[in-house]
Amino acid sequence: MPLVPVPKPTFAQKLKRFFMVDLLQGMAVTLGFNIGALTDKDAVAGKGIYTEQYPKVRPEVAPRFHGAPRLNMDPETHDTLCIACNLCALACPEDCIDVIPMDVEVVVAGKPRRKKVLDEFIFDTSRCMFCALCQEACPTYCLELTQDFELATYSRAGFVWNREMLEQGRETVKYKS
Amino acid sequence: MTLNMGPQHPSTHGVLRVVLKLDGETVIDLDCDIGYLHRGMEKIAENRMYTMIAPYWDRLDYIAAVSNGLVWVETVEQIMGLDVPRRAHYIRTILTELNRIASHLLWLGTHAMDIGAVTILLWAFREREEILKIFERQFGARLTCHAWRVGGMPNDAYDGFVEDCKRFVDYFPKRLDEYETVLSENRIWLGRTVGIGVISAEAAVAIGLSGPALRGSGVAWDIRKSRPYAAYAEMDFEVPLGENGDTFDRYLVRMEEMRQSRRIIKQAVENLPDGPVNAKVPKLIKPPAGDYYHSIEGPKGEIGCYLVSDGTQQPWRVRVRPPSFINLQALRQMSIGHLVADVVAIIGTLDIVLGEIDR
Amino acid sequence: MLLLAAPTFIDSLLLKFFSEPTVNYVIWPFIQVGLVIVITTGWVAYATYLERKISAFMQARLGPMRVGPWGLLQPIADGIKLLTKEDFIPEDADRWIFFVAPYIAVVAAFIVMAVVPFGPDWAVITDVNIGVLFVLAVSSVGVLALILAGWSSNSKYALMGALRSSAQMVSYEVSMGMAIIGALMFARTLSLSGVVNAQASDSIWFLFYQPIGFMIFLVSGIAENNRAPFDLPEAESELVAGFHTEYSGFRWSLFFMAEYAAMVVVTAVATTLYIGGWYFPFVYRLTEAKGYHNVYVAVSVLVFLAKAGLLLYLYFWLRWTLPRFRYDQLMDLGWKWMLPAALINIVVTAIGVTVIQGLNNPAGLRTIKSLETGLGLTLSGKAIAIVFGFGNLLVTAGILSLINWRSRDFNLKKQRRQIRLVDPPKGRPAVMPVSSESPG
Repeated sequence: MPLVPVPKPTFAQKLKRFFMVDLLQGMAVTLGFNIGALTDKDAVAGKGIYTEQYPKVRPEVAPRFHGAPRLNMDPETHDTLCIACNLCALACPEDCIDVIPMDVEVVVAGKPRRKKVLDEFIFDTSRCMFCALCQEACPTYCLELTQDFELATYSRAGFVWNREMLEQGRETVKYKS
Repeated sequence: MTLNMGPQHPSTHGVLRVVLKLDGETVIDLDCDIGYLHRGMEKIAENRMYTMIAPYWDRLDYIAAVSNGLVWVETVEQIMGLDVPRRAHYIRTILTELNRIASHLLWLGTHAMDIGAVTILLWAFREREEILKIFERQFGARLTCHAWRVGGMPNDAYDGFVEDCKRFVDYFPKRLDEYETVLSENRIWLGRTVGIGVISAEAAVAIGLSGPALRGSGVAWDIRKSRPYAAYAEMDFEVPLGENGDTFDRYLVRMEEMRQSRRIIKQAVENLPDGPVNAKVPKLIKPPAGDYYHSIEGPKGEIGCYLVSDGTQQPWRVRVRPPSFINLQALRQMSIGHLVADVVAIIGTLDIVLGEIDR
Repeated sequence: MLLLAAPTFIDSLLLKFFSEPTVNYVIWPFIQVGLVIVITTGWVAYATYLERKISAFMQARLGPMRVGPWGLLQPIADGIKLLTKEDFIPEDADRWIFFVAPYIAVVAAFIVMAVVPFGPDWAVITDVNIGVLFVLAVSSVGVLALILAGWSSNSKYALMGALRSSAQMVSYEVSMGMAIIGALMFARTLSLSGVVNAQASDSIWFLFYQPIGFMIFLVSGIAENNRAPFDLPEAESELVAGFHTEYSGFRWSLFFMAEYAAMVVVTAVATTLYIGGWYFPFVYRLTEAKGYHNVYVAVSVLVFLAKAGLLLYLYFWLRWTLPRFRYDQLMDLGWKWMLPAALINIVVTAIGVTVIQGLNNPAGLRTIKSLETGLGLTLSGKAIAIVFGFGNLLVTAGILSLINWRSRDFNLKKQRRQIRLVDPPKGRPAVMPVSSESPG
């Protein structure tokens, strides 16, 4: 393919080429950053240092972050908000939720009724892709994805969370700096 | 001599195997071996409901997850004839353009790193980090966002979305100028990219290239202009075109595209309409039987989705038109006659993502 | 101050046990050697730390921070890690050569420090008459280590990488040697201490007489060390494996140390030849003239290390800013740009020196002051030399352009162009944004 011609270089351009201005201007930018790393505090729009020293400094996680799942409980009665409707399990593309209901006898308006409540809730975080479809499906805002992202465990079985782990959350070891 | 640039390679941007036939140091033949990242996405899609497929689509081109999600939901919306409100279109435009900038920044960083200027990678990732923070605050995830739902968005823009976007738009051109100062006139960079990996406009169209690879050869084809989707019909922007079809032109085209993306974001943020962000979507999504194709201009080229529906809740067949797969076919033509060290630069300039190639 | 009185104290202590010749010619040299090895090894180890920190600051990040305050103990941690790695030798590799190659590299780099003048009096181990020649000769031995390493690894790609690397090093050594000759014309001696004395007695850096020579020497030195932007054999080693692929653990760390030691050598020699070595204008007046001999030497050593440190910063700066040359472009640069420039430098400098000597008329214009320590020049002599030095730039530019007139790299500016921005007509929208009223 024939190359499209460009205008002849001007004298200024020739001088710039001779004095290697193109290399030097790049080096000036880098030098600016080197000095800025020591003096500038603004890392986003300036030349400061951008690193966060995790785990000494905890990162700022957004409120909507799709993190570890949690089963919320009613703040006053400490009963679970889950009504065992199974919508989260149906919404999950990966089939990682298993809702096991049980029937209990309750008395409603004087008459004994059978009500379906939650018995056990199995959530396999190793299969989960944190798409939050389950969170959206839940009608009672019980299943929520929190801001916890440190989900590592030492065994495969540790990834399968049961109801208790989902309600209490996990104890994370705080880093001692 | 046959040289194998194996699947584990720092410069092939994923698990790509390239088998080179060399004569001394010149490449005389090239063969790509793909499939190392095949996860069966299209088959999975045949067994999931329409809303459940969207999170898988993020994992196709994992760098441009928002664009992938957009092509999927727009395809379904087209079939179902849903009217997505204007505010949703605008927010989709803003975030898709932010994703385009993020993808181009990653391209710039890795391309510069392959050619030797490692500092650019770290700077580009700093910019990308800001964009990913916006994504995290809006969608809840940084990379594989599951951004859109059929009919609109799951949540409206978060408080502070407009301020964050405006702040980004303000300082971003200065950063681009910094990258251009280091690279665009640098004689070493020019020596490594000018005249390398040339593909003519006719050959590009014949292979089916799209995106910056096509525009670098001078073909003015941008789906945002020729078949506008989301809010692009109302946006005012220009399309950069190269002239030579070499690596340097594609580099300049992508840098200018980042500037134009910033322009689009600025306009959209300033004119953001109010209103709802979701259309009325039926409870069960059962598109009418038939086949439909919709494509958008992703950062790497034309991402398309060919959907064959049989009237049930799960699609009959979904076929993705992956831009990187088709762009990769140009690799052979571009590399023959160049030296081995140039092959790395050419793979970088095609901007491939193996997630998309292998699905 | 106690530390600076130590030499005399140790001297008197040793004289009690040994005869004076033994002390002067056997024991003190050992102590000097020990000191230089300690300083050099420390400098090399902390050069790795400095590289990581400086590159981190240039990239808006922090660098090593965990090991010790501000990561200062990082080189020690790296050393421990490398020492405790598994030591394996590839199958069918040539065992003895595989063992020996890293040691040759390290030794070749470190021996050069024996002639480098760190300071005036006792801060140089030995002042050989042919110091410059010694430096060039011994640093060439490092190339041997490269080839041996590539050969003994029993890997096709390692061998190819080693050959490319060594070809690069050898071609830039030629221009390095040629570039030095210009400075030597002003020093009139090959001994490195003599060069520094020549600069000291004239109170001028040879950099002003030889700007091109300095640039050629530095660029060739960087290419000799296989450092960016000339590190294709080392970095593109994913493609064709570099010579040290099969080395791991301690052996690899020896190559690593050899690379940094070679960097230190090039910066030290460049400092000595062009920017005055340990000489700094007021130091003599403030210390030696007042009788503080040891202070004078110590401060001079610090001045030397600071200057070499600045050149080392240049190494890091170049590595982390500029992209890499391709191999053919690299060899092109060495043979078609650096070598002709060095040869032109010799010719122009020779003409300059002849002009100075010719114009030297005891009755009229006096250009030469004295010929004891190098070419001592008066102010007018210096002026002429500086004019020739900078005029050399134009001559070199002209001749290099002539030589490379048709080469591809020279004509890059012709090939690059601006892109154009177009606004293609908008087609029929695939998706129409509805108005913002309620959907339905």
